[in-house]
Amino acid sequence: MFDLLPDRLEWYYGGPMLGLLIVGLFIVANQPLGASGAYVQTSGLIRRHGGVVTWRVWYFLGMFVGGMFVTQVLREGAEIRSGYDSLRDVFPLALVIPMVFAGATLLGYGAAMAGGCTSGHGMCGTAQRSPASAAVTITFVGTAIGVTLVLRLLTGGDL
Amino acid sequence: MKLNVIGLLFGAAFGGVLAASNLHEYDTIHAMLRFDEPDVYFFMASATAVSLPLLWLLEKRGLNTPFGGPLALSRSMPEKHHWQGGALFGVGWAIAGTCPAPALVMLSSGAMLSVISIFGIFLGLRLREHQSSGSVAAGDGEHRESVSV
Repeated sequence: MFDLLPDRLEWYYGGPMLGLLIVGLFIVANQPLGASGAYVQTSGLIRRHGGVVTWRVWYFLGMFVGGMFVTQVLREGAEIRSGYDSLRDVFPLALVIPMVFAGATLLGYGAAMAGGCTSGHGMCGTAQRSPASAAVTITFVGTAIGVTLVLRLLTGGDL
Repeated sequence: MKLNVIGLLFGAAFGGVLAASNLHEYDTIHAMLRFDEPDVYFFMASATAVSLPLLWLLEKRGLNTPFGGPLALSRSMPEKHHWQGGALFGVGWAIAGTCPAPALVMLSSGAMLSVISIFGIFLGLRLREHQSSGSVAAGDGEHRESVSV
């Protein structure tokens, strides 16, 4: 809308800001700034499951709202698009859809198994100096780099 | 009630930082994983470099939080499910080019394929939860959901 933030925020602003947010949520509520837990709680609410942690559902909505504020209000306002540009440059949509679906299901399953995702283990767990979180983080960054390399080789360097 | 507002605000700030840093774009994550640009690694490292010492200090001081009792950081030793879950997560992350929080931001940015990512993440979490008879930890890394409203 306003185009106040046309370019990508440099990592030396964004990273420390995220670090402060992590500390902030611990200071206020003694809770980690993780994302997959919010999915679990939101899924529980949708399925009308008992014992849902309500504030995590609000937090889930918040991530969407915050993203919307930056991309639609502070920035020029993105139009409806497909996304996944560089993946779509290489593969037809008929292949991109099942790939994205399979990848997302796998990462959801893995996050539940590991007990956290990039934010829960990668950011908040390591910040709490947890050896298990460091192990999960090293594992997922390592495998992701490996799989990306394989994809790159399979596509002859196109992806 | 107040905690819901806090949740909304922290979620919004988190989503906002991710969006401003373009972490919701497949292209950003993919460029990171194929070593085209180091920015996301620096982003993650600098976030930890800020949060780790501050949390350590607050833990030492025995901070009492207004909504969650005394600050209790949790640490555990790696077990088999950590390695396995981390590996599966990494494979999915590389293919889908997103993870739970950025996928929501991707949707809010207008990228419609994120609907498939978000559905997949929900499904994957649910499959594991179902398999372990509903006893999946809340999924926030080293912390259990100890606050109820």
